[in-house]
Amino acid sequence: MAAFEELVARHRDKLYARAYSMMRNEEEAIDLSQEAWVKGWQRLRQFQGESSFATWMTRIVINLCLDQLRKQKRKRAESIEEMDDESGGVERQMPVITVNPTAGLERVELRERIDRALGQLSYEHRTALVLHEFEELEYKEIAKVMGCSIGTVMSRLFYARRKMATLLADLKKQE
Amino acid sequence: MDDKAQLKLQAYLDGELPEGEARELATGLAQDQEAAALLAELRQTRDAIAGSEQVRALPESREFYWSKIQRAIERAEAPAPQPAGVSGWVGALRRFLVPVTGLALLVVAGFIATRGTGEPTSSLETAVSDPGALVYRDYSAGATFVWLSYPAEDDNAKQDDEALFD
Repeated sequence: MAAFEELVARHRDKLYARAYSMMRNEEEAIDLSQEAWVKGWQRLRQFQGESSFATWMTRIVINLCLDQLRKQKRKRAESIEEMDDESGGVERQMPVITVNPTAGLERVELRERIDRALGQLSYEHRTALVLHEFEELEYKEIAKVMGCSIGTVMSRLFYARRKMATLLADLKKQE
Repeated sequence: MDDKAQLKLQAYLDGELPEGEARELATGLAQDQEAAALLAELRQTRDAIAGSEQVRALPESREFYWSKIQRAIERAEAPAPQPAGVSGWVGALRRFLVPVTGLALLVVAGFIATRGTGEPTSSLETAVSDPGALVYRDYSAGATFVWLSYPAEDDNAKQDDEALFD
């Protein structure tokens, strides 16, 4: 148990950060990251070193976050804005951003802006982006984790990227 | 550009297109300014986001955070409390005593029923072929009760027995 406590100490921030990226709520991120550690302890024998321990734990917390997000979605009605955003073709109406809105930003500021923009996406779009860009999963792996088709993953990722480009450009205009 | 073409462009960016299709698309980009501009935007956004996840420190102390995890692990691993008397010889004794007690009550009830009338209204007998079975007949009620002093053979019955004491 002492060795496991040391692993928790080493990776707790990263696991919490990933849970927060998905849930956008501090309390939920703490609870889900703790739940992930408990599950990690219970499944330690299943960890066979195919990936790093941090990656393995991150996958556990991602699945827990997705389960929680699905429960929340069932309970609440989708907002009108989300329904409009997710209706087909909205992303085609967004003008192409030609000037790089993140050029010249310091790393800290870039992370802060991306984090703010991520918070404005729906959970499906944010999840697709987090899994592809931060977790570096392929389309088919994302489809498996999210329980949807590869085509849906591609659509969500495309919309998320286009929306992020617009949001980052807007944040630059506010400077 | 239609939806399919746009998604294909994204797949090309992400290295998800088969080699042949990727080559064909790359060749076509030189003549398609709209596609080239969209690809540039997608690449720009992807490059900005990749590796730029916000760094966050857990807003709880190491000791406090770990203590909650440790307690949750210990709770999950604690053996479920057993109801008293279910397991082992105590459970077996209970399973024997319940029918015997019930039988004794029936005998007493039969004795009380026959007092004062002089005529038997019930009888208690043991089947010669099955000494583990006790048969009580209540003639006035037209009812017959059979008590078996041995457990049933199948597992379901054993579980049902244990469930009685839950």
